[in-house]
Formats: sequence, structure tokens, C-alpha cells
Amino acid sequence: MNIHQISTEPALLSLTAIAQAIAAKRVSSREVTQSCLDRIAQWQPRLNAFMAIEAEQALASADAADAALAKGKVGGALHGVPLAHKDMYYDAGKVVTCGSKIRRDFVATTTSTALQRLKDAGTIRLGSLQMSEFAYGPTGHNSHYGPVHNPWAIDHVTGGSSSGSGSAVAARLTFAALGSDTGGSIRMPAHFCGVTGLKTTVGRISRAGAMPLSQSLDTVGPLARSAEDCALLMALMAGADPEDPTAVTGPVPDYNAAVQRSMKGLTIGVPTAFYVDDLDAEVARILDETIAVFKREGAHIVQVELPDQRQFTAACQLVLAVEAAAFHKRWMIERPQDYGPQVLMRLQNGLAVPGVSYLEAMRWRGPALAAYLAAVAGVDAVIAPVAPVAAPTIAESDVGNSPDAEAVIQRLTRFTRPVNYLGLPSLAIPTGFTASGLPVGMQLIGRSFDEATLLRIGAAFQRATDFHDRIPELA
Amino acid sequence: MTRPTPKEIKAIADVAGVPVSAEVATRIANSIGPAFEGFAPVAGTLPFDLEPATFLLAQGAKTPKKAAK
Repeated sequence: MNIHQISTEPALLSLTAIAQAIAAKRVSSREVTQSCLDRIAQWQPRLNAFMAIEAEQALASADAADAALAKGKVGGALHGVPLAHKDMYYDAGKVVTCGSKIRRDFVATTTSTALQRLKDAGTIRLGSLQMSEFAYGPTGHNSHYGPVHNPWAIDHVTGGSSSGSGSAVAARLTFAALGSDTGGSIRMPAHFCGVTGLKTTVGRISRAGAMPLSQSLDTVGPLARSAEDCALLMALMAGADPEDPTAVTGPVPDYNAAVQRSMKGLTIGVPTAFYVDDLDAEVARILDETIAVFKREGAHIVQVELPDQRQFTAACQLVLAVEAAAFHKRWMIERPQDYGPQVLMRLQNGLAVPGVSYLEAMRWRGPALAAYLAAVAGVDAVIAPVAPVAAPTIAESDVGNSPDAEAVIQRLTRFTRPVNYLGLPSLAIPTGFTASGLPVGMQLIGRSFDEATLLRIGAAFQRATDFHDRIPELA
Repeated sequence: MTRPTPKEIKAIADVAGVPVSAEVATRIANSIGPAFEGFAPVAGTLPFDLEPATFLLAQGAKTPKKAAK
């Protein structure tokens, strides 16, 4: 970071760097917020990443943050930092559409715990970010508000369901964004858009005030420009919450310390099957190159034989289908015409799963996780592609509710669903680019509640590479 | 566990209070069918006293430190 960068375009700095710069009064919150708003004005017509842009309110909040700082009142670790989040986090008094027509005018009366903790740290609101309808879609299409576009190639998908989060972070319109991951919805946009995204362990971050999709699988997590930035956000958000009894009460690790460490002495597992099968040639190349960097940075690489991941995927699908249908049953009866065709189709899938089958899938979750953890004993993290391909085009993945839609969805989410079923943490990091310039990410899959090790590996990888620092250019 | 037929799905959906047409039932059968097939090796094999809460125990279990291959 240098003064020239700050004075020209503060929005290009990392979350960590800009928070430090504001706190040190090297740049004002207004200058930073205006920089983000300028980029939003340039990019939004191309990307459709924002659901709502609240420029005047953001600048007023920035002025208030600057005034407070001038009086020596620092709100927290992210004082005066402007952010925008996936439009499913309740923010009292604000419309929260959940990417849907049904909630187009829904005004939240509470604020989600994750968002409140970021506010308590001093962040200010830029607006809200687009998403797949009710977070139920892996590509970034939205039949009500249009698709979100990938800043690296406008005619390609962003991945979903945190489509706006991936697109906006990649284009440097926000320093970071909350996403959610139930079947891959943080990792897919991170992979397709070239940003860092952390799918957290089930129970690591409170889900209070976050739109539900599947109570057993839903997780809250950040998308940001680096593992270091994700660590900063995790340190603020993780931990027990009286509003969410599923949030674990144990101690929260020091994520900010973890990202300062090298990966020397760590063991990273490479699956012998499934995650390395049927990969696009460029994804396979980048996986090999990523492993080579890990070796160079001092990690020990071993092969791991994992339990049959296809069964985890199937179990995940059964659980997700039933729980999503149960949440939506009332609207499926009263307002079926107000869903997008693909989302309604997928919700209807849940009607076909008998209660006994659903409970079998839930009962098997414990032994399945135990079997997985036994298979990776002695391994700190498993490396795997997020998806077998880079971002497809918006047109070729626009399958709507056609007969093969679910097959397309299953193919894209093949490598993400097992992690959701097992409730494990997984960090997606940018690891390379295809010859045509599309980003490719890999996921580091960790043990339950061991996000710190994943962030440590991710940060060490990012000190050795520059994929996360590359910025798409406005065509 | 076998995948449900469109006729069965139509009946289940009716019971659930969200009736679907025969065409939609056929589409659902094709869509969710692979999940049933994928889970078939597990279905019907679980021990009698296995509770869903064992997931929380597995989450909190200490991982043995044996060497990986």
C-alpha cells in the first residue's frame, strides 16, 4: 500500500489495508466510500451485482464515521469501512428481498447477528447485493432481477447463490461481503469470480436473522479479497449467540494470528478419486500447480482415500430438498406463480422424499462424518477443485426448469455438496486462470471448527502467489 | 431404496397438501431420482439405535493423529 494508491483509488485496497488506513487517518471514510460508489457506478450497469445502492446514506454514514474518528471515537476494527452483503441478511428497517419476488417488499424488523457484529465493528452500508432467488441456485441466474455477470467475462456466470457477493468483491465494489453456503453458494462464486470465500463449519457463526434454506446445512461466511481479510471478518463474527442455539459456545480461535503463520509442517491431502475425476484439463493443470506451490511453501503432501463422496452428495440432496420445501410450503401453496420456474421446480422435489428417507439421511450424518474424519486423520486439510470447470456462459447454463436442469445443477455442485452434508469448513481460494482469462479456484476442506488452519494455508499460499490480487478491467 | 414413481410422487404431494400435476410429478421423479439411487447403499442399513444427534458428537470428537499414507 502506498499513498499514491490511497489517493487515487482506495477501493482497490484490501479490507485489512483500508481499515488500517482509515484508523490511521491516511484516508477518510468518505473518500473510501466515494471510491467504492464511483466503481459501483461504472460497473453496476455491466454486472447487475447490487440489489440496492444507497449512496447518500452511505456517504452520510461515512461522514459520521469521520467525525467520530476526529473526536477520537473509534467504532471498532472496521471503523468507517463500507461494505455490502448478500440480500438475505436482515437489517432492521431495510428491505431484504432474498432475491425473490415474494419478499420484494419485505422490511426486516431485526438485524442478523452476523451483520450486527460487523456493524458493531464500525462498518457502514453501501447497499445490498444480488443473489439467486431464496439462495436456491448455483449459477447466479435470477428470473426476477436478471443474472449477475462475471467481471472477468461479462457473458459468463458468477456462480451462486452468493452471485452479487462474488461479482462485487471481484470487481472491487465492496471490500468484502457476507454470503451463505448450503450446497456451495460461497465457494462457487469465489471459484468463478476469483475471490476468497470461506464456507464455515455448521455452528461456527450464528444464523440468527439470516434467511433460512436448510436448517441442517445453512452456513454464514465471508467472501473477500484474501484469506487475511476473511480472518479479520471471522474474528468479528464467530462465536456463541443467545439468538441462535445452534451456534457453538466453545472458544473462538485467533484467526488473525493464524494467517501470519507459514504452512510449514502442515500436511495437505490430495484425494485419490472423485475430486480428481473428469476435470477440465485446465482445472487439472491448476490443481497440480497449486499442489506444487504447497510443496514449495513447506507443506507435506499425501494422498488420501476418502469415503464414497457420491453418497454424501445424495444424502445432501435429500436433506436439502426436504428442508427447503418445508420452509417454503406455505408460499408453494399460496403463491406458486411468484417463484421463478427453476426454484419452484427444485422446491417441489422435496415433496417426493418420504419422512423416513429424510431421517435416514439425517441419522447417517454422524457416522458419515466420523468415517470421513478417520480417512483424513493426520491430514490438516484436503485440497480439491471447487468445480470441474471454470465459469460457463450465462446462456449455456440457463436451463430454467427444463428436464435436464437438475443434472446441470448436480454437475456444477458435484464437489461442494459433500462438504455441506458433513458440515465441514472449506476455504475457496483463487489459484489460477484459464487461457481465456477465467479464474479457477480450489477448496481447502478442513476438520470441523478448524477454519484457522484453512485460513493459515490460504494466507500462506497468497503470500506466494498473486492470483487474489489481480483485478478485472472494465471492457 | 428405489426412486419413487410419478404416480407415487403425485400421491405424496397430495398428502403433503401441495398437489402437483402428472407432468410435474414425472419431472420431479426424474429430478430427485438420482438422489435416491445414490443413497440406496445406505438406506435400510443403519443401526437401530443411531440418532441424528450423533452428528454433533462426531463434530466434537478429537481426531486421531495417525499418519496418512
